Amino acid sequence: MTFTSWQFGAFVAIVFGAYYLPPFKSFQVQLLVVASLFFYGYGQPELLPLLAVAVLGTYLFLILALRNRALWLPIGIAFNLLLLAFFKYKFLFIGPPPLGAVGLAPIDFLLQLPLPIGISFFVFHNISLLVDLTGRRDGPPDLKSVFLYIIFFPQLVSGPITRAEMFMPQIRPKYFEDIPFVGAAKWILTGFFFKLYVANNLNEMTSYMDFPLYETLQTQDRWLLVFLYSYQIYADFFGYSAIAIGLALLFGYQLPINFNLPYISISFSEFWTRWHISLSTWLRTYLYVPLGGNRHGAFRTYLNLMIVMGLGGLWHGAGLGYLLWGLLHGVLLVIERPFLARLATVDSAVFRAARTSVVFICVTMLWIFFKLPNFDHAAGYLSGMFTFSTNPNPPKLFHNLALLYSLPVMIQHLVPRSRFEQLLGGAEPYLYGLMAALMYLEAGPETSFIYFQF
Amino acid sequence: MSVVQWFAKCGFAAGLLLLACGVATAWFGNGLQLPSTTTRDGTLITLNRYVREPTPDVVLVGSSLTVRLKEEYFTTPRLRNLALAGGSPVTGLEIVANQPRLPRVILAEANVLSRPTDTALVAKYSSADSARSLFFRPIRIAVAAYENQLHAPLNHAQVSSSLRQLLNRPPSDFDNRIYVNRALQEWNAEDPAAAVRMNVTRLAQLIPAIERRGARVLFFELPCSVPLEGSRFAKSTREIVHTAFPDPGQWLHIDYARGELRWADGVHLDERSAVIVTQSIDKALSSLPGYP
Repeated sequence: MTFTSWQFGAFVAIVFGAYYLPPFKSFQVQLLVVASLFFYGYGQPELLPLLAVAVLGTYLFLILALRNRALWLPIGIAFNLLLLAFFKYKFLFIGPPPLGAVGLAPIDFLLQLPLPIGISFFVFHNISLLVDLTGRRDGPPDLKSVFLYIIFFPQLVSGPITRAEMFMPQIRPKYFEDIPFVGAAKWILTGFFFKLYVANNLNEMTSYMDFPLYETLQTQDRWLLVFLYSYQIYADFFGYSAIAIGLALLFGYQLPINFNLPYISISFSEFWTRWHISLSTWLRTYLYVPLGGNRHGAFRTYLNLMIVMGLGGLWHGAGLGYLLWGLLHGVLLVIERPFLARLATVDSAVFRAARTSVVFICVTMLWIFFKLPNFDHAAGYLSGMFTFSTNPNPPKLFHNLALLYSLPVMIQHLVPRSRFEQLLGGAEPYLYGLMAALMYLEAGPETSFIYFQF
Repeated sequence: MSVVQWFAKCGFAAGLLLLACGVATAWFGNGLQLPSTTTRDGTLITLNRYVREPTPDVVLVGSSLTVRLKEEYFTTPRLRNLALAGGSPVTGLEIVANQPRLPRVILAEANVLSRPTDTALVAKYSSADSARSLFFRPIRIAVAAYENQLHAPLNHAQVSSSLRQLLNRPPSDFDNRIYVNRALQEWNAEDPAAAVRMNVTRLAQLIPAIERRGARVLFFELPCSVPLEGSRFAKSTREIVHTAFPDPGQWLHIDYARGELRWADGVHLDERSAVIVTQSIDKALSSLPGYP
């Protein structure tokens, strides 16, 4: 069930309607857990037992780790990483087996299961739960709260990755009069607008980046499409995150902000504090800092950065392209690190604009490895950006349409928020109304959220 | 501002824009040709125009091979090209057959007959009304108006001098070996026999039904590069179609100087070659008994 389907709209309306009814007042958490299980199992009911095993297993290790943290915490983390490795990375080492290849029915069944949607996200939630809660002296939370934290439907499939210590204290009775309706509506409308109007329309154009279609493109169109994909992936993932935040507000929960205008970053390290913030925060808290962070000299810092970014790349998918994407980001972080302090002393608007441009162009170029995870295809696309195309029948791309569909991302990044709000004045609700109509009228063809595959 | 006021203003603005687009659609219709961002869009534009405008005299149905034969290249008046990139000639023929009026001549490409009929597209264009929508897309309409003003669809008279210039140039020397090898690999790997037989069976049902209504259906074959002509896919398709429709009267015979032809990828004609082939189709059409 995708966020953009009418089934999802009906599902949210029913759950929201029941959630604040007096008979359900004492069962709000249970209701959300059941609704989340229904949401997850709607398309793939065979994966529900796996989700149950992941949550129940994590809960068991949590109880054990509260008694003996040194022993059971690493085992609990290993249990979750093994789940992730089995479902996501096994085909890095073995080819997909034919039906009944092993001969043992349960193993054959597991090998044939598709990649569970959102596994990368709920495994990270599980690890956060184990680390955060066993670090405190409180007693174990109840099972229904653990279930809710891990499988809360707005964030189950693609985040934001919420830390347990941020979410668990929010589990308490919720009241209709506390709902920030306008705030929730603004997040939800913005999210759907970015997904339906920007991302889905740009996706029509960037489908020309797929192999072998890209071989028909003119050189300048290859460049244009890379930038359009950069806008598309932002609009797609920012849109999803905004919808998730808005939906959570309707049920009384605050999820972390996942994006903060990443394309105006003046350094690569700043980019990672603005892009997919919940993942960056998770990796910093649970991987970079435990590895030693920047506390053991320059070389260890650079090594830690490369390890974190490499694993961050692999987290997105089991492929050389994703690994390379992460490692190249690591290289950029390492290269800029010694110069950051000196660069910060230059106080010039032109210099800042130049730095922003460099970061944006580099980040955009690296998205090619995301769009084309097959390394050969990505390399082919890249090399074509620097050679003149002689194809006599290139496809025609409408540059004015590309501009109009990218415009919301550009305005959001280039017009300062305070200036924008000042310009809008009391017209803000009208703007959201126009966005709502436009996302219906001008919606691009339905495509799933890019981050659903992770 | 209260929550109710905020939502009232938001709903008012949304309703106003929807109403404006709805009224504009009812007033102006869906007539403006929208810019296509994908080849599928291009297909829909052509089909929208076909069901909306008066029935032409000649219609081409086919795959992406026939898409290259642009309407403005033809001197034959009142001709429409309904070929579908990535689609099947049978889909086009079904759509034409489902219209209340038929053209006098339907030319059906016989090169690619391995693809299934696009039943959703056939259903969508079964009647003129089904292709209409309640609201138009404001952004695309704005761009369409701009594009149509700058680049209005051309007719043969407008492009004839540039076509002459194109024909006076030597054939292209574009190195297409990579693409030919890739296409050859695909066309040798694929055995289209079962799918072609199924489509041929459907054609054998459709054609008599169309011809009973006064239209004439003629097959034509577009040339491919020599290696592709000898591929398993091409040979198998040719054999099945010619066995099913052996009557020479069911085929449009087109003559062209093969040495002048070039293919961007071994399969699809380049622009100059497409002009040469359209000229030979023009000539073949004009020599048909009882035509014009």
